[in-house]
Amino acid sequence: MRPDERRLGYALVGPAVLVLTAVALLPILAAAGLSFQRRMPIFEIGEYVGLANYRFLAGDPRFWNSLFNTAYFTIVSVILELAAGLAIAVLLDRPFSGRGWMRAVLLVPWAIPTVVSARMWEWLYNGEFGLLNYLLRATGLSVEPVNWLGNPHWAIHAAILMDVWKTTPFAALLLTAGLQTVPRDLYRAARVDGAGPWEIFRRIMLPALKPMILVVLLFRTLDAFRVFDAVYVLTGGGPANTTETLSIYAYKVLFQTLQFGYGSALAVTAFLCVALISLVYLALLGREYWKRMLA
Amino acid sequence: MKGRVRAAVILGTVIGLMAGCAAGDRTKTEAGTVTLVFKHGKIAGPPDAFRGLLDRFEAEHPGIRVRDESLPSSTDQQHQFYVISLDGRSADFDVLSMDVIWVQEFARAGWIRDLSPLLPPEERAAFFSGPIEAVTFEGHIYAVPWYIDAGLLYYRKDLLDKYGIAPPRTWEELVGAARTILDGQGDPRLTGFLWQGKQYEGLICNALEYIESAGGHVLDRDGKLVLAGPPARRALTFMRDLTVRYKVSPPLVTTADEETTRRIFGDGRAVFLRNWPYAWNLFERKDSKIRGKIGVVPLPGFSGYSPAATLGGWQLGVNRRSRHPEAAEALIRFLTSAPIQKATALEIGYKPVRKALYRDGELLRAQPFFLDLYDVFLTARPRPVTPYYLMLSQVMQPEFSAALVGLKSPETALADAQLQMSHILFGRAGT
Repeated sequence: MRPDERRLGYALVGPAVLVLTAVALLPILAAAGLSFQRRMPIFEIGEYVGLANYRFLAGDPRFWNSLFNTAYFTIVSVILELAAGLAIAVLLDRPFSGRGWMRAVLLVPWAIPTVVSARMWEWLYNGEFGLLNYLLRATGLSVEPVNWLGNPHWAIHAAILMDVWKTTPFAALLLTAGLQTVPRDLYRAARVDGAGPWEIFRRIMLPALKPMILVVLLFRTLDAFRVFDAVYVLTGGGPANTTETLSIYAYKVLFQTLQFGYGSALAVTAFLCVALISLVYLALLGREYWKRMLA
Repeated sequence: MKGRVRAAVILGTVIGLMAGCAAGDRTKTEAGTVTLVFKHGKIAGPPDAFRGLLDRFEAEHPGIRVRDESLPSSTDQQHQFYVISLDGRSADFDVLSMDVIWVQEFARAGWIRDLSPLLPPEERAAFFSGPIEAVTFEGHIYAVPWYIDAGLLYYRKDLLDKYGIAPPRTWEELVGAARTILDGQGDPRLTGFLWQGKQYEGLICNALEYIESAGGHVLDRDGKLVLAGPPARRALTFMRDLTVRYKVSPPLVTTADEETTRRIFGDGRAVFLRNWPYAWNLFERKDSKIRGKIGVVPLPGFSGYSPAATLGGWQLGVNRRSRHPEAAEALIRFLTSAPIQKATALEIGYKPVRKALYRDGELLRAQPFFLDLYDVFLTARPRPVTPYYLMLSQVMQPEFSAALVGLKSPETALADAQLQMSHILFGRAGT
């Protein structure tokens, strides 16, 4: 690359870098700065306390509880979403009449605003009126109504089910796109060689989908780890904090009890967790893939 | 065809821009007039009723215009908006409406003006005492009560009459009445008593009604933390027993909020309901299944103690950075004056904060239900009046919830709550 071309390159990238710095980097740094302070505006407290917030956080059972809830929610929901998304993508890959329609219909849960779908699920889960308990009774699976959102053991799973319903379409869509890249000749050749459907799935589809699966995992894990609105509307973090995620805890500390310092420490911790997860995925995605993406 | 579409788009844009400019002009101060910005939550009732009141204010106060701006209907989001704006020294709004539990916090932070001159001591006696207590911080008045709310017991008059049962005065009577009716009706779709046990602010409102009607308190008169004790233990045990021992409340109360319970009761599927006054008008609508079949009474207490409805409602304050404090105070004086309180009650349905209005013939003819509310509002109790309240509530919510769903015994939950609360109140002032 000639030096003047290089200079032009920097000049062209410059505005984007400036915008990113202003809207992403500066707020993150501001939050990190706040997290080193004891700052409670209503008591006119605002002093630098170094790592005190983080030391308190390390011994705060409510933080560890919310971190555990977040991790559990993320792991279970992402695994289920990937499995269901993969199944749907493979089914939709076969040509059949009405496939276009199916693809469009599939996106409906994804298109509904989260708060709206959370309200909808709140009623589906309702112990008295809810469709879910009606179905359980009608099919004879359970006579006693299940208290989906009020029972400390069920509540987190109810939230996970809602998330899976809502975001599986996203996974399915990306994986469907991934499958489009596989040349049809490969399938035909495999069939000529006597491969069954399972063999084709395992030896052709899965390897071809690997980069796309990682992309799905990356997006879904980050989204699930930051989950807020879905759970907040559904349960508010209850009962007894069994569904309180890191974002919900940070929100309550920041905006309901106005402890800006400690709240920021929670938010920064959540950010660091997300950053760490991204780094792991980026490493997994591999240099080769990124070279291709950046090229 | 294409050309026509393009023309339509251009026309639409131009009209939009013109409308935008017109709206922009309204906010500008014309010579000699000030424009007040009034922030509030969603106003119930017919959409034009509230604007009509503000127009009346503008007519009576030439030179002041009022722009009212609605915030999201969620109380949490309104709190968040005010906190961010007021902490950021925003002067974008002059008058704000505050939930009864925020005034201490905002006053302590120095975000709202001292309005003591608006409410001299002799004036205060005209208001219900609960809201006045809630807006008084260190002896000064920081907001003027606007409308009032309190927990109530709704009951199915038709069912109680059928079994010859009087509305319950104690919690024990309520359990007995619900049991008798449930056994007598033998209807698996009917439940006894609905209330709000989801982990949120409403749970605290409910729990305090049991705790205080068992003689307990969160803070005593001297500000000492006295939550963990026999009354609160009795209260939480009783709340859990409502579902597991007496089985008069369905398990879903541990995840229910106002609307969930309002709908089930409104569907004719419960004998008793604890809710706020707003539910009355919905139950009495023409298409309601229980229209004409319900009554309201003050909430019960434990025998030997007086009932203790939790106080709700909204108060008006002035942003300390407002550029037009006198005009803002005039608006508050107007909205809380007796005639406008009456008009607000008639046209919007908000419950007046002035006691005398509950003897107003015209108002009682239009809303006979107000007569039942008077005693409830008279004795309604504010939640702990302290700038720390929202922090205390955040500690109590999960602990009470744990006791209700059986994850912790009431003793443990109360002890855990008390420990964290004393850390907030008397330990380091937060971290």
